[in-house]
Amino acid sequence: MRIALPWPCDARVAAACLAVALSAVALVPTSVAAQVDGEALYVKWCAGCHGEDGTGNGVAANTMLPRPRDFTLALYQVRTTATGELPTDADILKVIDEGMPGTAMPGWVDVLSQEERLALVDHLKTYSRFFQGDAPEPLEFSSATRGTDEAIVSGQEVYQSVECWRCHGQQGRGDGESAPTLEDDAGFPILAADLTENWTFNGGGTVEEIYRVLRTGLDGTPMPTFSDIVDAGVITDEQLWGLAHYVRSLSPEETPEVREVVSAKRITDGTVPETVGDEAWEAVEPIYVPLVGQIVVKPRWFNPRVGGVWVQALHDGQELALLVSWTDPSLSPDPTWADFAQRVIEIMGPGDEGAATAAGAPDQLVVQFPTALSDGMERPYFLQGDPRRPTNTWTWRSDAPDAVESIARGLGTAVPQPDGEQHVTAVVQHAEGEWKVLFRRSLDTGGAEDLVLPVGQAVPMAFQAWDGDNGESGNQGAVSTWYFLFLEQPTPVSVYVAPPIVLVLTLLFGLLAIRQAQWEATGAGARVARLPAFRLTKAVERAFGMGVGLAWLGMAAAAYRSASLGWDAGHSDLGFWWTVIAALMAIAGLSAMIGTFIHTLPRDEGR
Amino acid sequence: MGLLRTPFRQAIAILAVAYALIEFGIPYIPPLFGVASAKIPNTVVLQYLLTVTVGILIWVSDNERRWTEFKKPIHEVLVRPDRKLARGVLLVGVPLLMAFVAYGRALPDMSAPPSFRAIHPAPPSSIPFQGEIIELTGLENPLRSVGSLDEHYEEGKRVYYQNCIACHGDALRGLGHYAPGFNPTPLNFQDVGTIAQLTESFVFWRIAQGGPGLPNEGAPWNSAMPAWENFLTADEIWSVIIFLYEQTGHEPRRWEELEAAEGTEAEGS
Repeated sequence: MRIALPWPCDARVAAACLAVALSAVALVPTSVAAQVDGEALYVKWCAGCHGEDGTGNGVAANTMLPRPRDFTLALYQVRTTATGELPTDADILKVIDEGMPGTAMPGWVDVLSQEERLALVDHLKTYSRFFQGDAPEPLEFSSATRGTDEAIVSGQEVYQSVECWRCHGQQGRGDGESAPTLEDDAGFPILAADLTENWTFNGGGTVEEIYRVLRTGLDGTPMPTFSDIVDAGVITDEQLWGLAHYVRSLSPEETPEVREVVSAKRITDGTVPETVGDEAWEAVEPIYVPLVGQIVVKPRWFNPRVGGVWVQALHDGQELALLVSWTDPSLSPDPTWADFAQRVIEIMGPGDEGAATAAGAPDQLVVQFPTALSDGMERPYFLQGDPRRPTNTWTWRSDAPDAVESIARGLGTAVPQPDGEQHVTAVVQHAEGEWKVLFRRSLDTGGAEDLVLPVGQAVPMAFQAWDGDNGESGNQGAVSTWYFLFLEQPTPVSVYVAPPIVLVLTLLFGLLAIRQAQWEATGAGARVARLPAFRLTKAVERAFGMGVGLAWLGMAAAAYRSASLGWDAGHSDLGFWWTVIAALMAIAGLSAMIGTFIHTLPRDEGR
Repeated sequence: MGLLRTPFRQAIAILAVAYALIEFGIPYIPPLFGVASAKIPNTVVLQYLLTVTVGILIWVSDNERRWTEFKKPIHEVLVRPDRKLARGVLLVGVPLLMAFVAYGRALPDMSAPPSFRAIHPAPPSSIPFQGEIIELTGLENPLRSVGSLDEHYEEGKRVYYQNCIACHGDALRGLGHYAPGFNPTPLNFQDVGTIAQLTESFVFWRIAQGGPGLPNEGAPWNSAMPAWENFLTADEIWSVIIFLYEQTGHEPRRWEELEAAEGTEAEGS
């Protein structure tokens, strides 16, 4: 193909010219960047984690795993260049702009200007002499193949043949046999990525980004490049795209949105499922509840393994079944992970008093409810309650035979309820790097300190999870704030009855109005009574005025109710303002009624 | 403006404009002038529209001729033979609409219960702090009158990076890597509505006592803000406060300003 240009040239040359021109354009901002003080920006916004000397040893470094990048090593995970090569400026800028998912590195694109971020790129390069050489060449990437079923199947074959499972596990949950031995180039323990959560992938979670990581590797980590086996002809480039599609297919299509309410459908034919594998669960949408490290009370934990749990619920009017699933590579305490756990414990700061010193703890899950529902908005403290408002905790541990129901008045204060008052059962399964824990409990146990789980009302619910083989125990685990469990009712009869009644009534009213208007218009009505027609109008006006007044009074009553709720909940500001609104509305309503009454008095007829 | 000749059409137009202003104008117009705003709840929209409707009715019925003219189109649709189609459409459409509304109201509500929360609740006049009583009223940051600001900033930076960034984030926008796990989300210090509106003593109170120290209207049971008096000394808290203001470029409210403002208010009334 030839393109009309002033000089003779084919498409490939044109493309090369265009690329040169574009890179020249791309270089322009770099010279602008010289006017911005990259070092000052670095000291202000980056040094807290990466250290003023760029070694990744900032004051916050020991609360992070993976550790902040050490720029003096010039080892960059996210690149478009071959393994062992330096990143391009655009690669460094991309990480500054978008951050590193799954780590503490945020994106700066909407915090710092383009010039400032480019100045930072220049500054980061000053930490290593390697950048003084020639600019690195990015690899050429083929364009994505279509993610057909065949592509995914071929990708799965590659996953087996190149042994991705050795680290990432058969289902991709980072539970391969080599996983416990992994460490990064600086000697810190590192987890194999959980391939079922693509929103935590360091290099990004799209098919294109996964393919790029497969081509370049993640330098500084055990993740290798697969460019070499493509170049050697062991697998084709198309198969590598297939692998990217397969890896992408292990995660949900969309990153889960955080929703406040877990709703439990009511089973009408039969009872709740008693196993984690029951096919009834396939029809229940799992809700993702994100968890974060417990960093509120001592001893804190900044390195939670469980980033979130998937929750499903069903009930049958008598019993609740709550299925919680999450990624955990091992059934703790697993001796093959003991060394990994011990090293994590020794690395992680800040070393609060009471922090764990030895590994070997079990995995745990706690689901927590208030012991009683309050009328207002009051709830127990989200970390297992407080002295005034206790919580009912359902605790499962991987080293105990069944779940334990306890009363807690704060984190770590749970006291098991007596033997006769244990009503929760747990059925569990650990397979392919995933825990599934199924709790079951009667909606109403009869126990004095057990919450009666109401149908048709949102009940506060919170979660905590521990991975013993990640060095977690005691207060050092992952927690959530309050979510809600909603037990669905059978569809109320009113849903089917109210709409037809309203329909018929409105229709009748419409017909009546038309009938009346036409009757009056024919003159028949007018002939029958001229004076009564006037009276009728007066009556209508009076009814209308009184109606408006009543409506205002009704709204005043509703506002007053909101006010009392506010006062009761201790929200004196809400209580006060709703009282004011109620008073104004009451005045409006009474004025409307009195005014109507005066102006529709019979003596007005004479005028 | 021939379209708007009759009072009936004017009434409809006013109602439509009012709805557009309430539903879309309130959330989207103030941001054009740099003022933060948000969508108002549907119940409030309904209440405003009711008020507008009452106003319109008072206006059209204010004099006899306008009232007759206003009623005319309604009357014609009900009566005139050539308006049979409009009549029929209304007779089918309105009952269906009402039935649909009734259906929506009868469906069970599965949303979470409302959670009202005062973001900046009234501070106490004094608080216990590590066994002492600290008077908050009139209290300014003691570190501003001793030592060098740079040193306090550096110390505050250390405290912030070791304790706060997981939630409040490197950019101080409340977007740390733990932020998605919390409801309510961590405070955004860059926002002009947070520390820029507060005295340093208020910020000290919030840091020292955290979520558990909130009064009930602040919903203390939901807040993941730790009570930092269990972790930090008073000087560490005062220095991290200096860091927050220096790093964001905001100025704290001073007690003299507040008193001056109250003074002018008192004179005015």
